[in-house]
This record gives sequence, C-alpha cells and structure tokens, in this order.
Amino acid sequence: MSGPRIVLRLDEDGRVYQPGDTLGGQYRMMSIERDDIKALELSVLWYTEGKGDEDMGVHHFQRLSTEDGDWIDPRRPGTFHTVLPKSPMSYDGRIVKVRWCIRVRVFLKRGREVVGQRLFRLGNVPKASGRKTPPSPVVEQDAET
Amino acid sequence: MARTFRYFEKKRRHRRTISRTLVIVGEILFFTVFLLGGIGGLVLLYFTVVVPQWQANTEFVAHRCTVLDKRIGEKESDEGTLYRPEIQVEYTINEERFVVWTYDIWTFDPTGGYSSGKEEKERILEGFHQSVTYPCWYDPQDFTRVVLVRNSRWWLGVLFILPIAFILIGSARLIYLLFSVGKSAERRSAFVQKAANLATFDTPTKPNSEYPAIPGGLTLIDSPGTTLTYRLPISSTPNWIMGSIVVASLIWNGIVAWLMVIAIRGHLRGEHDWSLTLFALSFAVAGGVLIVYAVRHAMVTTGIGPTFLEISEQPLRPGREYRLFVSQTGRLRLRRFDISLVCEEEATFRHGTDTRKESCRVSEHPVFERDDFEVLRGEPFEVHCDLRLPEDVMHSFKSAHNEINWRFVVRGTVSGWPDFERSFPVLVYPHENGNGEA
Repeated sequence: MSGPRIVLRLDEDGRVYQPGDTLGGQYRMMSIERDDIKALELSVLWYTEGKGDEDMGVHHFQRLSTEDGDWIDPRRPGTFHTVLPKSPMSYDGRIVKVRWCIRVRVFLKRGREVVGQRLFRLGNVPKASGRKTPPSPVVEQDAET
Repeated sequence: MARTFRYFEKKRRHRRTISRTLVIVGEILFFTVFLLGGIGGLVLLYFTVVVPQWQANTEFVAHRCTVLDKRIGEKESDEGTLYRPEIQVEYTINEERFVVWTYDIWTFDPTGGYSSGKEEKERILEGFHQSVTYPCWYDPQDFTRVVLVRNSRWWLGVLFILPIAFILIGSARLIYLLFSVGKSAERRSAFVQKAANLATFDTPTKPNSEYPAIPGGLTLIDSPGTTLTYRLPISSTPNWIMGSIVVASLIWNGIVAWLMVIAIRGHLRGEHDWSLTLFALSFAVAGGVLIVYAVRHAMVTTGIGPTFLEISEQPLRPGREYRLFVSQTGRLRLRRFDISLVCEEEATFRHGTDTRKESCRVSEHPVFERDDFEVLRGEPFEVHCDLRLPEDVMHSFKSAHNEINWRFVVRGTVSGWPDFERSFPVLVYPHENGNGEA
C-alpha cells in the first residue's frame, strides 16, 4: 500500500503555456484521511535551479485551513485556475535554470507534510547553447554620411 | 517509517543542505544571545553613564567645602598614561567632618574618569586654590560622595549606538524567524512579494510589476542620446576603477617602502634581518605588478577616449530591429574594433561561510566589426549600425541569487596600447504581445 501522496493533473497536459494563458487543473489527495488534514496550500510558482542558491517567486497562492473553518475533503478533487504572467519564462541555461510548477502542500497532524508538484513550461525559450551566434545582418553606415 | 526530523535535507549536487528546522533553531539561539547582549549592554551603560550624571546634576545637595590639596591622578593604559584632576576637600555635614579626594562624578566611577591630555587637567587644578572655600554638591544617600563640578558628558551617548544596533538587528531577525516558523517556503515567498509590491517607492533594480523577475532598469533609460533616443550607461566608470587601482597601488607600495626602509636600515647597522628582507621583497614583487596594472589601466582610461553608445529603443524585445550609434574618441590607430551583444548568466551561492559568484557567457551576437583604421583627435569615429535581436532569446532576469544579464561589449585592439573592453548593460524583455512563441 502506498503512503499519502498528491496527484496533480493539468487540463491541457503536456502543452507549452504562453504568458496570458490560463493554467487549470485538478489535484487529488491519495491515502489521506480528512481528520488528519490541518491545512492545504496551492501555489503556482517559479524557482531557480543550477549553480546559485535557489530563488522562488510565487505567482498564485491559496491556503485553506481547517482552523479557519475551511472545508478540505480529500475524497473530492480540488481545482485551480490562474492566468500566467508575462515573465519569467522557463529557461534551461548553463548555470541558471528557471522552472515553473504547480505545487500542493498538505499539512497533516503531528507536523507531517505531503507535497505534490507538477512542472510545466512557460514560453518557448530554447536551451542555452553557449555558442557564439553567426553574425546577424548588420547594416553599417558612417555617421557623417 | 519516515523520520519526523532530519539533520540534513536533500543533496544538491555536491552540496548538502542542512535541515531548515535546525538552521532556524540555531539562528533563533544566536539572535537571542545577540538581543540579550544588546539589552544587557544598554542596561549597563544606563547605570554607569546616565544614572551617575543625572544624580549628580539633580539629586546632589548644594554645600560648601574647603580645598586642602590638589594633584594630577595618573593611570597607565594601552594608549599610554591617562590623567584626571584630583582635589582634596574638607566639608562638614551634621557636625561630622569629611575629607575626600574628588573633582566630578566620574572620580567615583569604576573606570575613574581618566583621559589623555595632562595640560588640560593642570589648567583645571589652577582654578582651585588651597584653603579657599568653593561650592560643592554631596550625595544625600552617601555623604562621602561629593563633587566640585556638575557636568554632563553627553558625547558618551555614542557608546549607546553599539547596544542599540545589537537590539535592532537581534529583534528584527527574531521577529522574522518567529514569523517563518511553521510556514512553508511558498507562503513566506508570497508574503514577501506582497510586501514588496506594497512598497510605493521605485528603485533602479525594483522589478517591473507587469514583468515579474525582470529588473525595472530606471537608470538605463534616464539618459537621452544626442543622435538616438537613449545613451546607454557604461557598466562601471573607468575613472572610478582607475582611482581605486591607483589608491590600492599607493597604499600597498607605501607599506612596501616602509618595510624596505626598515630592512635596509638594519643592514646598514649590521643587523641583518633576512626574514624581513625576503618578506619585504615578496611584497615588492606584488607591488610592482600592481604598478604595472595601474599604469596599464591609466593608459587605457586616459589615452583611449570615452566610448559612447546610443540606441533607438529600450528595452529590447526578441525579433525586433534596433538602430545603434557608437562614438569612439581619442587619437589612436585601431587594429580591430568590434561591438557584440552578449548574454551572461550569473549565480551567487554560499560555499561554507563564503558567498561566491560565478558567471557564464551563454550567447554572443556580433553587431559590428572593423579592422585597421585611425581615430584622429577632435574627429571621433562615429558609426550607425542596425541589429536584430534573435527571436528565441531569454529575457533579462534577476532574483536574489540568480541573474541573466544582457550588455553590449565594445572591444578595441590598439597599436602600441593595451586592449580595451567596455560594457553597456541593456534590458531584454519578452515579446511585447505577451506571446513567448518563437
């Protein structure tokens, strides 16, 4: 029997999203009892990977807490929708990488947490090649002329 | 069964991140000590600096006393001999006679109120004469504490800066840490972003709210050009760099000269200190390198005139065309002169207790190049050129520890001179229509 986990599904799975697109989907809590849940946080965020220390920017954040009277039912799938921002784009650089993801974090009793995460791409920026590009068409003109 | 507490969390390549809980507990302990140290220092200063002055100035009772003797009190310290005026006075309270050495309230201070400057203390003593009666003030709680002068050393208030700084830093960090406890990284980040967005003031690096994680770049568009719309700022002023190198060279070589003088004097006296001589010589080699570097930089800064770069539009967008104007002044024969638009990644990371920065050039787009030509004094080399930013490039990006920066790099190879390279930062935004598609 598998332990508690969260399964995330995007409405248009596998597609590359563009700024201004709506990201929507569902999350399901598996093997989690309702009485065990204290709170649930849903975030759409970007984070960095690579050589540098990790940075994070949260675009959409939603928190449900049983202490605040919110009803969290693990038997029913939760839904989310958010309009994606203009930046930053997903990027696969040499020492800096930018990843976008939807993350659901469920806080259980006795300080336990269960996290589910699903990556998606924002924009079509290709992987950094690190090569010198061939000269682009340059029109040169002396200033005096 | 999973452990509820782990000393180490996930391993990032060769670096292992320590448990966040452990870090928070350690930080809370450290800053609690910081805060308590500040509070303790403040209380100590209050009772040793403020209270004695206040008591002497407000609570001591006016009286009269007769001067019996006077002298300069001395005390040896690391800074040399310190002095204070001491005057022996006689006075009677409730028919009881007291004879006390005093001057001001600091005479009764544990540190003794000593300071440098013997002449100043002698001048004070000259104002008091033996067998003459003067006004004085005594402590109604302790008749042996009497002062001839009631004054306030308000400059001692400077001492309060240190404990207050400890209290401010300690309490601010503790508030932040206590706020962080039990909150997820996403919740903290969302809160910090919300607070940053509420800030009403703009800074040059504050991200544009429409384009998160892209620097605002206020400084890049505040200088109009003479030929095109914007004159691009140079990334670092050559004069400022040259000044820093010259100052560093002067300080270093001043130390070298001082060491050499000591070593040579020793040799002349017949006291051969070879370890000092070798030490001074190794310093001199580094000093020589610094001089060569300073001279080389001075030649480039003063001999090769300033470079001006202007652009038709800012920020840049992928797939768009721009006009560029470059002006190179000076009197030089250029073997090669080229301009390219480069993109660099920059990562900041902690390695042990050090903070390190690493950068990596990921793309370079040649914009202009010309070989073998001459720039005459009073006739700067000026040229217009067009460039098209490729469709699929990454935009400028800036977060706390990671950056993607774009800049024009102007490089020159000059006959008989060191090569030079000058950078002009620019901003690249994503496609204007919000579509990131190529």
